[in-house]
Parts: sequence; structure tokens; C-alpha cells
Amino acid sequence: MNNSGNAMRKINQLMIRLLGAMLAMLFTVAPAIAASGDAENGKIIYEKRCIWCHGGDGDGSGAAEKFLNPPPRNFEDGQYKFKTTGFDDMVPNDEDNFRMVRDGMPGTAMPGWKALLSEQEMWDVVQYVKTFAGYEEEKPETQIDYGTQIPTSPESIAAGKKLFEDGDRCVECHGKAGKGSATKSLKGDYKERTWPRNLTKPWTFRASNDPKDIFSRISTGIPGTQMPSFADPKSKKKLSIEERWNVANYVVSLAKTKEVVDAENTVIKAEVAEGDLPATTDDERWDQAVPSTFLLVPQIIGKPRFFKPSNDTITVRAMYNDKAVALLLEWDDRSKSIPGDELAEKIGDSPISEDGVAVQLPVVIPTEMEKPYWGMGDATHPVNIWQWKSGTTKAPETIALSNAMGFATIEKRDAAASGLQIKSSYDNGTWRVLFTRPLSTDDAEKDLQFAEGRFIPVAFAAWDGSNSESGSKHTMTTWYWMLLKPAPSSMPLAIAVLVMGLLLGGLMWWARSAAAKDTENA
Amino acid sequence: MSMTKKRLIPRLLQFALVIAGVYFGFVLLFDVILGALIPKSLLSMYMFFVIAGTFMVFTCTEESAREMVDPIKALVEDPSKKIVRNIVYAVLPLLAGAYIFTSLQLSFEAPVELRSIHPAPPASLKAYGKRFDLATLENPYRKLEKSDPEKFKKLVFEGGEVYIKNCQYCHGDRLDGKGPYADGLNPTPLNFQDVGTIAQLQESYVFWRIATGGPGLPKEAAPWISAMPVWEDFLSEDEIWKVILYLYDYTGMRPRSWKHE
Repeated sequence: MNNSGNAMRKINQLMIRLLGAMLAMLFTVAPAIAASGDAENGKIIYEKRCIWCHGGDGDGSGAAEKFLNPPPRNFEDGQYKFKTTGFDDMVPNDEDNFRMVRDGMPGTAMPGWKALLSEQEMWDVVQYVKTFAGYEEEKPETQIDYGTQIPTSPESIAAGKKLFEDGDRCVECHGKAGKGSATKSLKGDYKERTWPRNLTKPWTFRASNDPKDIFSRISTGIPGTQMPSFADPKSKKKLSIEERWNVANYVVSLAKTKEVVDAENTVIKAEVAEGDLPATTDDERWDQAVPSTFLLVPQIIGKPRFFKPSNDTITVRAMYNDKAVALLLEWDDRSKSIPGDELAEKIGDSPISEDGVAVQLPVVIPTEMEKPYWGMGDATHPVNIWQWKSGTTKAPETIALSNAMGFATIEKRDAAASGLQIKSSYDNGTWRVLFTRPLSTDDAEKDLQFAEGRFIPVAFAAWDGSNSESGSKHTMTTWYWMLLKPAPSSMPLAIAVLVMGLLLGGLMWWARSAAAKDTENA
Repeated sequence: MSMTKKRLIPRLLQFALVIAGVYFGFVLLFDVILGALIPKSLLSMYMFFVIAGTFMVFTCTEESAREMVDPIKALVEDPSKKIVRNIVYAVLPLLAGAYIFTSLQLSFEAPVELRSIHPAPPASLKAYGKRFDLATLENPYRKLEKSDPEKFKKLVFEGGEVYIKNCQYCHGDRLDGKGPYADGLNPTPLNFQDVGTIAQLQESYVFWRIATGGPGLPKEAAPWISAMPVWEDFLSEDEIWKVILYLYDYTGMRPRSWKHE
């Protein structure tokens, strides 16, 4: 299927090239313009759309350079991360670059240009970009050998898992759970910080999580990074074609589909817990709670702004009983940042800070649309902030409570006095932090008093201490909602029956009195 | 009891059909065609006015009112309609009961927040320690577009650099409101490529929106959820005017102006 699709694409491409060549002969006398794109028109488009990041000279030094991670590609070096030519071939296929221009790269600032540019215009850009590395005449010499694709199956996944975990191939960087929980610090060719991909979040893959794309990455590696080629016969870790398909199928199977962001899911639904609230982050009852996953965005509103986040989503579950509410926050963080810890200092951007997470709630549940300003409240709408920090080698983890009326007006309060408690755990690249607080507190003026059945605005923030995040440098969510779902009650049924009875009674009375009037008249 | 004239569809049924037609029309338009679920509270508000209006039309003369009421009276009072009456008496309370029961169930749908996207601007705005009169405020560089195109081009380019360093995270490289972090924000960032945004606005309005950001919005535009920073704190007056040039130049839109209208 894939092969025939490929063949079709090649034929199509050939046709386009032929057509292009014929047109070229018709309209110009200049010899052999590039087969499928016009570099001169590409230059015009490039200078309007691309220079801002990639720079006028194509060396990745556009105005945005310092604000982006990954940094914009340097085209002068002619090294491409995502390509389908052989691992030892620098030159990509035109189609590889065309695809990146067309679809963009998730998790980066590179958008898909198909929204603004025509097919031809994108080919023109591809043609122009090649000139930066002097590739306009170069043709790739080798291609990835895909052999015959092995469709996914439990056997293939099991075989892939074994290869993934054995022989120091993948686990060293991607971690046993595939979440990229690092054991060493990685750098790209431009000395930029790189993090191994979290394979459980396929929506962050730069070039899709189609098994064929994953096979391509395993085969060619990712040039310019420490991701090596596993097709290189000189490598001790070389994998056969069949083995690479198995690993690709295993990687696809790692996706944590329960934690995909769903734009419709904006309400954290806390159900009533039977008995006591879960006291640990791994209590089995959490599996029954409906997870809500929200996007984390860097704090770019207040000074100093923060541009290069590493955390991208946070998953929240909640439960409550007649005494307290429990919120379980879960997010993937590739490093457990405990300042003073030797490994943590080595992996992170030393000196590292503590990891952290915070919950923001209004002090008063709004009765109308108006909420506190989402960036830490405002003068008339204070917020409660519960902040957990992971601790250092010298000090244990901490929980802090503060009331804020904007960035600058923060009052530190006593978390213990409000009954705020925490439990945390770090496992294979995932933090889980459990906050518990009584539904009501002694200080109703300053603490949110939880109420059943009310929509309570809630927002979150997270800090990755290994990514230079501390203070105002962090990621955050916008306002979402939390709802303590009341246990099912018989009230609605009772009222419905009552209304039914009254209505029927009224109708009967009407009919009867009409009949009585009729007999009277008769 | 004399019917004024025989109709193909009785008035009462006409009334019911009109209401049902409008209701499903709304659902079809919003949920199916526009692909944006119409919030229940909004739909009930619309339907309240539709029912009230239709009722007024159907009962505007005494005759038409009678036409509406007579079949109902007949149903209750006419002994020959006993079977139909019994059926209606069984079904009506059941429907009412079911409606009450479902409407008393707690909804887990997020509350709807209706906000004005382009609220009316104030007469003047305070920024950079001075007052700007929005009625007369103009982009000081706009005139260079004709008088000095080379200089103008350079200013647009400088505006582009301001944009890419500050605005693309949310509004996007393509200026279509789909920057890398757009999906994590609510409301989502404005799409400048849309003909309904900057093309409808004067440059003074855009200056106001940039300089004072989310917190500078009036209440009807829900300033508390906007992620737009107060750019007065980050950019100079000059940089804002240049970035405005870039927004219009890149998208090929023209600012509105009192002069040309």
C-alpha cells in the first residue's frame, strides 16, 4: 500500500517535473530551471515570510533566533533533521523539505505554510532554500530502504519493546517509559539544549507519528542532534529493517491517549469519594477519576517574560467528600530537579532550581461572568495560590499558600493553618502531586470556601527547575473550571412527580367543571 | 361554535410548526452548518422571544385568537373527543415531568462567556504618561507610504522584527492567530488575516488595543481572561506604530480611516 502510494507519488512528481520542464522550454530560453520550483520567486516569498526566523542569509539568525527553542534551522550548513535519504547522505529529498514547509513542525514555531501559500509557491521556497547550502544541483545518492512494512501486532510490539529496552539503544535517552526522562545532558550541533522526545506524546513529534516516519527517524537518526542512525552498519547498535519496523510499532503503541488535550474538556469533574480521600498519588481510585488535560503556555505577559518552556501539558483529576477536596496534578517532566543532587545538576542547566507546580483559585466563587484577572488576580478579585516545590538535597519539599491581587501584591500565608496538605511522587519522567484541603477553613475572608455544584475557576502553573524556570519564568494554563459534582439525589425525581400530579389534577378539574357546566346548561 | 373558515393546516398546528421550525433552524445553522454548538442558555433566550413574538402574531385579532383557543377548549370540553383527551392527559403530564426532571439535573457544561470582541473604544487613552485622543490619533508613519516608499519599507521591516520577537507566540508567523501557544489561551488570539479584524479597525484603535492590552479592555470584553500583555510596558510608542504598519502590510489589509469614508 505504502509502496504503491510512493510509486504513485514518484510518478506524479515525474509528471510535474516533465510539465515544468516543458513549460520552461516554452516560456524561457534560460537553460534547465529547477525541476519543480522557481528559486527566484522562492526568494521573494522567503524574504516576506521566512527571514524573520531563518535570517536573510539562511543561517538561522533571524530576529526571533534567541527566543526560540528549537532554534530556527541554519540552511547554510545544509544539514536537515527530518529527511528520507540515506543516513550517510547530507542532501535531503526535495519532498522532505516540501513537507516541512507545507505541514510545519508541531511543538516548534514553524507553522504549516499550506494555509497561506500555493503548492507551487511552496516548491519555489524549497528550491530557493537549497541555494543557501549550494544544493541546487545536488541530488541525493542514497535513500532509506524501507523493505516491507511490518504492520503493527502484539508480537511486533513485544519484539520492538525488547529492542527498545535492551542493548542501550533507546532507554539511555528516552527512558524506560519512553518519556524522555533523561540520564544525561544532551546538546545539539549549535550547542543548543536538546531534550529527548517524550514518545508518549505523539502530537509533539516534529514529523508525525506514522510508523513510516518513526522508521525514518530510527534509520537516519536526527542529524545535528545526538539521535543516531540505527541503520548504519558500522554501529554496534545497528538494527535490521525488520527490527526497525518492530521498534516503530512499539513507539506508536506508547501514546498516552488518555492524556490528550481535548479542547471541549474544560471542566474538572470532582466526584464524591467513597470513604476517605486517597492519601497517595498512586491510589487505585484515581484511575476512576476522569482526567482533564490542559495546555501549558510560557508566561509571556509579565516581566521577565519566559520563552523556552519544556513542560507542555498538565493532567488534573479531583475527588472530594464531606470534609475535603483532593486534586491530583500530573505532568511529564524529563528531570527530577532537586538542587544539590549530582545527577540532577548534571542533566539540567546548572545551577538548577526546584521543580514546582501551583493551583490558582478565586477567593470568592464568582456569581457572574467576571473572574479575577488570570495572571494572579487583581485589586478587587484576590486569588488563592497553592504552590508546591520539590525540595533540595538539604530541605524537604514545601507547600506554600499565598493570596495575590496581581503580580506585585502577594501576601504569604500559613498553609498549615488552612489545612493545605501535599504528597508527591516522581516516577520515570512523571511528577504526581496531590493537594488536599478542607472544603471550608477558619478564614473565610481569605480562603476559598469550596461549594458543591458551583463552577469554580481554576488555573495551574508549573516550573521545570532544570530548564532555568523559577519565579516568573514558568508555564501556566488559562482559567478552566472545577466542579464538585453532588452525589445523585432523589430531589429532581420528587419534584418531577409532584409537577406531574399537579398538572394532571388541574387538567382533570378543568374537564370535570366543563362537563358539570354542560349538564347544567342542558 | 363556528369556525370562520376551513384551513389546510389548523392555526394551532401552524403555531406549533413555526416554533419547531425555528428551533430546528437554529440547531441546524449553529450545530451543523457553522459547526459551533449553540449554548443551551442562548438557545432558550432566543426561543423565548420567538415564542412570544409568534404568539402575538397568531393572536393579534380576536378572531385569530379564537382560532387558536377553540381546538384546545374543544379537546377538554367536547364529550366526543374523549379518546384523544385521555391520550393528551396521559402524555402531557409525563412530558412536563420528564422536562422538569432533566432540567433539575446539574449541568456539567462549562458556563458560557459571551464577550465583545471589538468593544467600543474610549474617547481617549492614557499611555506613556500622556493622553491620546483616539478620534484624531493617526499613525505618524502612514503618510510615508506615498511620500517615501523606501523609508516606509524599512519601517515595515522593523515592525516585522518587533512582531516576530513579541507577538508570534500567540498570533503566529502567519498572522492568523494560530501561534505555537494559541491553543492554550481562551479567548484565542486574534486572526489578522481575517477580514473581520484589523481591516475593520482604524490604526488608532489598534494602537489602543496594543498599548493597554487585555487589562485595558472595558468590562464587556472580559479583560480578566485576555492574555494580551500591556505592551506599553515592553514596547516604545514608535515600535507599536511600526508593528501596526507590519500587520497591515503583511496581510494586505488597509486600515479604516475617517478620511476615505
